[in-house]
Amino acid sequence: MTNDVATTVEVDLDMIAEQVWSAFLNSGEDEAVFAAEDKGAHMDLAASVAMVGAYEGHLIVSCSHKASRDVASVLFAMEVDEVSQDDIGDALGELANVLGGNVKSVLPSPSQLSLPRVSATEHERWPGTVEVSRTVVSWRGEPYVLTLLSGSNHQEVSA
Amino acid sequence: MLGIVIDDSRAMRKILRGLLADLGFEVLEAGNGREALDLLQSDGRVPDLALVDWNMPVMTGLEFVVEARKLSELRQMTLMMVTTESEHGQIVRALAAGAHEYVIKPFTRDGIIDKLALLGLVPVGVL
Repeated sequence: MTNDVATTVEVDLDMIAEQVWSAFLNSGEDEAVFAAEDKGAHMDLAASVAMVGAYEGHLIVSCSHKASRDVASVLFAMEVDEVSQDDIGDALGELANVLGGNVKSVLPSPSQLSLPRVSATEHERWPGTVEVSRTVVSWRGEPYVLTLLSGSNHQEVSA
Repeated sequence: MLGIVIDDSRAMRKILRGLLADLGFEVLEAGNGREALDLLQSDGRVPDLALVDWNMPVMTGLEFVVEARKLSELRQMTLMMVTTESEHGQIVRALAAGAHEYVIKPFTRDGIIDKLALLGLVPVGVL
């Protein structure tokens, strides 16, 4: 059963990412590569939403500081060097929220989505969870790792 | 026309504010349902349109819809949910509570405008 869910979600994760990048980030065809190669690059920030209910887990978007500034720059229609840390947190959180909401729609229902949280990746742990699906979006040359976790422990703890 | 955008994301409020402003709306903003009710009470005007997120702190969009529908002075306000909540049951709950329309994020500009046109809220000549 877990394998069935994982297979289905993996397909949808790429499709959902493409829809979100296209509509939310005005991404042109030449700017984004979906299901991109995972080169294991260091991710500075993680934005996550938790799902509680028929499906228990998390959707996480991880990216570099530069990538997070690019997202904020587009969403706030500002120059990259004008965005603040608050702008970055807001924009990355909303990206996770939109992705998480759409992922939740293809998972067992009903489930509730938490408010998004954004923090440095080294401060994030999701104990008691397993990775269900993972994909990488390369946008403007920067990788964004989308990870779907399954697990009933929603107590993200600081390292 | 007057619109209010209710969303806890400043980025989303900015996007929706810009869209409505381009259509000729004057736009108010609130970060959650409670803040919106307080703002509307102090402002005194009744928006023609409210774009309402679902998942917000303090007061959710659904709770806002329920509360707004209790207020006779806001009866003329069109309520459009703009949210990531896309489960059929959630959509039914929002419409049953009094929302007029439902848009799922990520939306396109044209998608919002089409919905507003169906509601008669896009000024003639804009489309």
